[in-house]
Amino acid sequence: MTTQAMHLRRAGAAHAAGRMTASGFFHFVTGHYLLLPIGAAVALVWANTAPEGYFTFARLLAFPVNAIAMVFFFGLLAQEIFEETMPGGALHDRRRWPVPLIAAVGGTVGAALTYAASIRSSTVPMFLDGWPIMAGIDMVFAYFVVRAIFHRHPAVTFLLVLALASNAIGFIALAPSFLFDGTRAGGSGLLMAVAVGLAAWLRRKQVRAFWPYVLICGALSWLALYLEGFPPALALAPIVPFMPHTRRRLGELFEDEVDAAGDSPRHYEHVWHYHVQIALLLFGLVNAGVMMTGYGEGTDATVLAAVGRTAGILLAVAAALAVGLHLPAQLTWRDLVVVAVAAATGLTFSLYFAIALFPAGPLLAEIKVGALLTAAALPLAFGVAWLFGVGRFHPRLHSFRR
Amino acid sequence: MKPILLCLVFAALAAAPHAQTAADVVRFAVIGDSGTGGEAQYQVGRQMASARSRSPFDLVLMLGDNLYRRASPEVYASAFERPYAALLADDVKFVAVLGNHDSPESVTYPGWNMNGQRYFSFTRNHVRFFAIDTNVLDAKQLEWLDQTLSTSQEPWKIAYFHHPIYSNGKRHGSNVELRIRLEPLFLRHGVQVVFSGHDHMYERLKPQKGITYFVVGSGGQLREGGVRRSETTAAANDQEQLFLLVDVDREALRFQAITRNGAVIDSGAVQRQPST
Repeated sequence: MTTQAMHLRRAGAAHAAGRMTASGFFHFVTGHYLLLPIGAAVALVWANTAPEGYFTFARLLAFPVNAIAMVFFFGLLAQEIFEETMPGGALHDRRRWPVPLIAAVGGTVGAALTYAASIRSSTVPMFLDGWPIMAGIDMVFAYFVVRAIFHRHPAVTFLLVLALASNAIGFIALAPSFLFDGTRAGGSGLLMAVAVGLAAWLRRKQVRAFWPYVLICGALSWLALYLEGFPPALALAPIVPFMPHTRRRLGELFEDEVDAAGDSPRHYEHVWHYHVQIALLLFGLVNAGVMMTGYGEGTDATVLAAVGRTAGILLAVAAALAVGLHLPAQLTWRDLVVVAVAAATGLTFSLYFAIALFPAGPLLAEIKVGALLTAAALPLAFGVAWLFGVGRFHPRLHSFRR
Repeated sequence: MKPILLCLVFAALAAAPHAQTAADVVRFAVIGDSGTGGEAQYQVGRQMASARSRSPFDLVLMLGDNLYRRASPEVYASAFERPYAALLADDVKFVAVLGNHDSPESVTYPGWNMNGQRYFSFTRNHVRFFAIDTNVLDAKQLEWLDQTLSTSQEPWKIAYFHHPIYSNGKRHGSNVELRIRLEPLFLRHGVQVVFSGHDHMYERLKPQKGITYFVVGSGGQLREGGVRRSETTAAANDQEQLFLLVDVDREALRFQAITRNGAVIDSGAVQRQPST
């Protein structure tokens, strides 16, 4: 049984028994990755009731959380995605990639154009540089919602490829602002080469424990990115492909598969499952606190960009089909609309891109409010699914459950 | 006879703050959120010229949102050059910071004397001005500010920027996120007076930890009823567009808030603290 499934079963059993024990509640919360929204909610209340205390706290923890703790979140994400590309994984069959990749490009273009148009029609040109933020799709929450609606279905794969490509575009678009901000230090390229080379050597030596990869290669990679002015939270991304992996089955992202060799305790996500969630709790707590007076035209533009992304995805797919490509088998247009709506959720990734691009202050606050508001796409996706009668709302429900 | 005497006494009192020599007094005007190009901005501009004929000044601090439309020669002309034509013709120097509505490229506009810099510092006699960009208050700027403040030897240190860190404006209010970054530097290095805009009203706050904060965000814009007075409010006005006229000698900073109709709705003095 997977780790997450165990958590959910324990929580479900406690619930069925009419009681929610502390342990059951904890398993429910961690099983549904709810610590991030809990952290965000606490931050919002705190920032609006005791702002001086909150912002002092947030400033103190910003670097340790955003630059160090989030290393493990992005590491876990990279690990999960890499394993999805292995045999049995949702992303293994690359014939499924072209249409969602085109959708990702279309979604990003749609979001960026809508954002730029909104900013240009406003009186706040300062925000124009923020368009890469609009590429961010929350891979955790959008994934959970789409999977909750469709269970194991090509829609889940479609969303994964779409979100992965879109966020990759976001990171690439952000790169120039790091490259040209004048904070670069020499020699970091060599340091990164050493980190990756060492990881390759460890793999060649068949080192199955992940600790040397994380502590030695990860630390070198972190230092290289930090010195170069790039977000050091991505330190494990170039190391992950060399780490020990287990095979996946479709729809098991963020779930820990016990492999035949029984080495799960040494497996990265098994060990770091809770740590990553604590990191997400802190990320929400440190970054989501904005004063309600912080909304403005940047907020409107961010929300409109989310709508533009949904439209861009659908238009890009329509264009792809017009030139002869095909939707993945079993994926209908109605399913696609639900996926496109869920993909409007920027949340974690939009927040991360925003703090990477803008320093603390009024501009960042406006974008943050917008990023938080895009979470409305999650219940909206459920609503659209219900309206269209797809996934769990399909009249012949049993055909979607296994 | 009695009315004439009263008039003479009044005239003498009115002239008193300005009786010192130019070397002793640094006099300047302050406008914020001015760049609408509307009639109210022009009226404020005329009152500034009128005030200057009585109390000459050659410096104007602009607190941001100096333009509300995308920067272009026509917009600069209609929302800056024409409203303040009389002042510009007399070589009055406007020194701006940018607000959230300004275009980033405006730092190179010659009329605002920013010399391509988002943040900078300059000195007039015994006053050191610190122009801060609160749109992008990054670590580099904070380091510069800390360094520049620490080396400043002038008796008066005055900071100005767009977003207020203390304000009772209903729309925006105090930006606490900026406050926790700027206030410790102001306190450590003896900044005594701070000017901001952003909230479209006028407010003078009671000294906060010894620093007097002004919100002068109605140089062209106005949000009527935009002030929510609190125990920190010393004076406020949300009914008229206005500018601030300031005299600084070695011991005191005197100010008058003058509306577009020429009425003085607030005035007073801030004494220099001996330790600074």
